[in-house]
Amino acid sequence: MSQIIRRTIFDACIFAYIIVFLLIAVQRPDSDHLIEQMSGYLLIISALGIIGALLSLFLRAKSVTTLGDIIYMPAYLRPSIPGPLPLYRTFWGVELLMTLVATFVLGWFITDINPLRLLEADAISSALRLFGEVASPDWSILPKATIKIIESIFIAFMATALSTPIAFVLSFLSARNIMGKTWLGTVICACLRIGFNLSRSIEPILWAIIFSVWVSFGPFAGMLALMVHSIASLAKQYSEIVEGVSDGPIEGIEATGAGAIQVVWFAVVPQVVLPYISYTIYRWDTNLRMATILGFVGGGGIGTLLMEYQGQSRWPQVGTIIVVMAFVVWLMDAFSSHVRSAVK
Amino acid sequence: MSKPILSIKNLKKTYPNGVRALKGVSFDVRRGEFLVIIGLSGSGKSTLLRCLNRLHTPSSGEIIFHPQASTRDSAVLESATDIATVEGEKILDIRRRIGMIFQHFNLIERHSVIDNVLHGALGRTPTWRSILGLYSHAERAKAMGFLELVGIGDKAYYRAAQLSGGQQQRVAIARALMQSPELLLADEPVASLDPATCHVVMDYLRKVNRELGLTIICNLHFLSLVRQYADRVIALKGGELVYDGDPQQIDDAWFSRIYGETAKEVHVN
Repeated sequence: MSQIIRRTIFDACIFAYIIVFLLIAVQRPDSDHLIEQMSGYLLIISALGIIGALLSLFLRAKSVTTLGDIIYMPAYLRPSIPGPLPLYRTFWGVELLMTLVATFVLGWFITDINPLRLLEADAISSALRLFGEVASPDWSILPKATIKIIESIFIAFMATALSTPIAFVLSFLSARNIMGKTWLGTVICACLRIGFNLSRSIEPILWAIIFSVWVSFGPFAGMLALMVHSIASLAKQYSEIVEGVSDGPIEGIEATGAGAIQVVWFAVVPQVVLPYISYTIYRWDTNLRMATILGFVGGGGIGTLLMEYQGQSRWPQVGTIIVVMAFVVWLMDAFSSHVRSAVK
Repeated sequence: MSKPILSIKNLKKTYPNGVRALKGVSFDVRRGEFLVIIGLSGSGKSTLLRCLNRLHTPSSGEIIFHPQASTRDSAVLESATDIATVEGEKILDIRRRIGMIFQHFNLIERHSVIDNVLHGALGRTPTWRSILGLYSHAERAKAMGFLELVGIGDKAYYRAAQLSGGQQQRVAIARALMQSPELLLADEPVASLDPATCHVVMDYLRKVNRELGLTIICNLHFLSLVRQYADRVIALKGGELVYDGDPQQIDDAWFSRIYGETAKEVHVN
């Protein structure tokens, strides 16, 4: 039953979407108009949704297989879909193709794609001028850039180092196989997971804005931003490793009469150490990439310098910074993949 | 005749998914005997063993445990205890007194052999000491002694993963002995070993049974091994006890009752 409701809602949305697309294609409203008339459009869209749902139920009565049927059909009914027809000869295939085409066309207009603009003569000449200046870096600022990239490296390092032990503890508290045995454990586990997902859905650059107000501009703000993000990301990745451990050693240690903490330490930890190291190094690597741009919002590091020179259009200096950043990120990437393959 | 070490009465276990693994099993385990449990896969053998040391919680029934008088330092358990209903810390105390070895050894493969044996002492070691690895000299010497007892003293500082299956199972026996248990549970201890190694491991089990007087309850697949090592055998079929007695008296008729009409006996030499 719920499968029928789901496919009907799904199809209603798809049909409404296609009709809206066709209306837009005919009417070509601009975005100001859309904003003014928003409530009216919402009304039309809901009406179309209802029409879509009715259409979908009508199709069901005619036993036409819609895209919603294909997606939500339980596995045991799958074989009843008639043979290997080409996509464009089935109803759901046409529905799928129309949706994809409509989305692509809409996307083309919304993102304002205009390939010709790339080839306009004056645009090309100013781009070439910029490239020329960036490509002749001003090496006199190299010492300054070096000091700032070192700051970025340490922002990334400290964020990783401080988040690792916290994430380590949280990962066990958010692993279902460890916590799922009691009612309280399940609740703690679920709350932590929701927390991780919330804090991960806020990008480090937004955290940096928050912390640069809190602790004022500088590397500390950037470090805190990366740390908050890293705790959530690492704890989630770590807890997935914990959930993948084999039960045998856990049973083996449990059978000795060991307490809960001993079971985690002796049976779970040895199984997760190597993947933890691997993820931690990778996190440092990722944090370094992010640390290089956090300066744009007051998070310290080389990004501060980059923003400064870019704001003044001093392209040779920008060129130097790009070279330094690329070199260090490449180095870190090589180091990280080397270590990660070594601990496999 | 002294009291049985375990008296199991009408033990039942139903899993949350509705599978009735044990449907009311009753038997006694005599102190010092080598008891073998046979039966098909899914007959409830593993579940039964795991109920005895409370890795699983029985749904109903009794498991009365009579600890040996005045041999234990622990004051938690003194007189007869119903294992089926103990809770919290007492479950851990029960597990300390009952060693267990497994089909897949369940060692910590990244740790050294000697550390794996020392894991047997976890139950009586405070958490912080065990995490810092601060075992006393006496404990270390004891662990080494058990490794020598099972004939792999020279492998003490190898990683467990570097050992062969038979050697790993002997480490597991040493780990269980480290608990100073009164009872040793063995869940298919030789099912993942080759026939030759299989006898080595069974011989060590017999050795700890005879020399240390340790009561052993062992799940086995092969009847030929049962006849060779068991003092007594019980058979489970579909979660019920269908045989309890002398291993030599399991004849072809009993064999097909336990394993089904089409089964054929396989010999391990």
